[in-house]
Amino acid sequence: MNAPFYKFGAFGDEVSLIVAFVIGIAFGFVLERAGFGSARKLAAQFYFRDMSVFKVMFTAIVTAMVGLYFLGRVGFIDLSLIYLTPTYLIPQIVGGLILGVGFVVGGYCPGTSVVSAGTGRIDGMVYLAGVVVGLIGYAEIYPLIADWTHSTALGQITLPGFFGLPHGLVVAGVIVMAVVGFVAAELAERRFGGVAPVKGSLVDRPWRMTPVRGLMVGLFVLGLIALFAGNPYQGSHAVLDTKQLAMMVGGKQDHVTVDDLADRIIRGENSFLILDLRDGDSYQRYHIPTAMNLPLAQWESGLIPRNETILLYSDGGIHAAQAWFLMKAQGYPSVYLLHGGLDAWIDEILYPSRSAEMTPEAANAFARRVEVSRFFGGSPRTGSEGTQGEPRELAPPVMPDMGEAPAIAPKRKRREGC
Amino acid sequence: MKPSNTQSYWNPYYAGFLLGLVLLSVFVVMGRGLGASGAFSTAVATSVNAVAPEHAAGNGFYAHYLGDGETSPLKDWLVFEVLGVMVGGFLSAALASRLKLSVERGPRIAVRARLLLALTGGALMGIGSKLALGCTSGQGLSGGALLNVGSWAFMLCVFAGAYALAWFLRRQWI
Repeated sequence: MNAPFYKFGAFGDEVSLIVAFVIGIAFGFVLERAGFGSARKLAAQFYFRDMSVFKVMFTAIVTAMVGLYFLGRVGFIDLSLIYLTPTYLIPQIVGGLILGVGFVVGGYCPGTSVVSAGTGRIDGMVYLAGVVVGLIGYAEIYPLIADWTHSTALGQITLPGFFGLPHGLVVAGVIVMAVVGFVAAELAERRFGGVAPVKGSLVDRPWRMTPVRGLMVGLFVLGLIALFAGNPYQGSHAVLDTKQLAMMVGGKQDHVTVDDLADRIIRGENSFLILDLRDGDSYQRYHIPTAMNLPLAQWESGLIPRNETILLYSDGGIHAAQAWFLMKAQGYPSVYLLHGGLDAWIDEILYPSRSAEMTPEAANAFARRVEVSRFFGGSPRTGSEGTQGEPRELAPPVMPDMGEAPAIAPKRKRREGC
Repeated sequence: MKPSNTQSYWNPYYAGFLLGLVLLSVFVVMGRGLGASGAFSTAVATSVNAVAPEHAAGNGFYAHYLGDGETSPLKDWLVFEVLGVMVGGFLSAALASRLKLSVERGPRIAVRARLLLALTGGALMGIGSKLALGCTSGQGLSGGALLNVGSWAFMLCVFAGAYALAWFLRRQWI
């Protein structure tokens, strides 16, 4: 299981923009080749004269759906990581009706209008200007209807989940519906458009095997297999590569030192989602700034986003190390331990000790530690206070103002989708 | 009459199959689907923010698309994807000798009326796509392949809305 690649950290945000551009080129190219830069060809759909919109759209949906099903089923892709737009039933029904009216009035949908404008069609450019006008209008009324647009929320839900049907059955059903729809579309074209079926298409005689029929038969067979193949949502059963894990542990690539973490927090460059694994009371008494509390006892897989870089700590190191293996076993791509845990944080960051005899370098390092310690509200222990290692009362640390601990949620909440 | 070097469009089933592979690859690589209308929302929000930042900040819709303020909102996945769509469409049309400044319309409608309808249709599309959280790309194609409940309800309604009004607009197209 290593897909979706981006969600498993195969590349960063900058590269994802290049991917977006390349994918966009492929998308635009295919749309243009399908004839979807032409408003007349698109609108002919609604007069049953040229059913290309329906054929292209549903062939694409079925192809991608079947691909996702089988890639998920064999464990290549973790389908639970693919963004699913939440359903708000009534607003989406109303939105769909308005969009459908806009389609037949304007002749395009947003994606095809971009192709149309890019290929020199003035009506496509005017249409795009219309989209901008519509969006500004929508933005101005948005405060009045914001609540309504979030009504009838069903959450992120798929048809199999909604109807309580096996996933494979729905996949097979959609394929059958699509193929029946294609045949009906070709018959409609012949009747209303007066066009003869394209040679080799579904209803063209004679009844011999053609590439188009081969595609449909192929999809049909895959649908039949899906019927018995089970659930494609496999969860994350990442195969544990024990050798690689051992190498990470041995090479100390699995942990972050307390100094490193303190530096990052001070510089404001802390990109870790820091998880405090101790119980709630201990967390309340003290925790590393910006850490959030997730006691091991309340552990649930799926609670922690996979695309975050996670740093675990507990008092010593044992609980954190156990959680580290647990998360690695669940396929979390980037998980780290705080070396030495909170104990090390207290000893080295909050209350660093000065040893009696120090080299000049060590003294310099200690001066730096004093600053760090003060930042985090601790107090350095100088040698004069007593012999080392003797237990003594330490002043409670004062928390620096770091704002609220981050909630377990993506950093930026933006609507994905269209 | 068609110029002789103009290629005809692809068979819709092959185009659909290729489009499906593009869609599948974006799921596999990015863990998300294709889209279009979101890029326009980002562009509009960015423009309004440049002209009237206070107004943009006070409006939940604009603020949503302006993001966290740290990075430029235009450094957005869908913005780059839509730029690619325009380039891809241009390349395809150029290679097939289909680039031409024109106004697409049926034989029974004037240019001005057609452009007015294009503007109106675009505006309706802008509103509809925001209510539906996506358009035919994001909700239709992407959500359809994921068997998203809202996407399938949306798609049925798109076709219902278009067919319901088609008769009144026949002079524009046929």
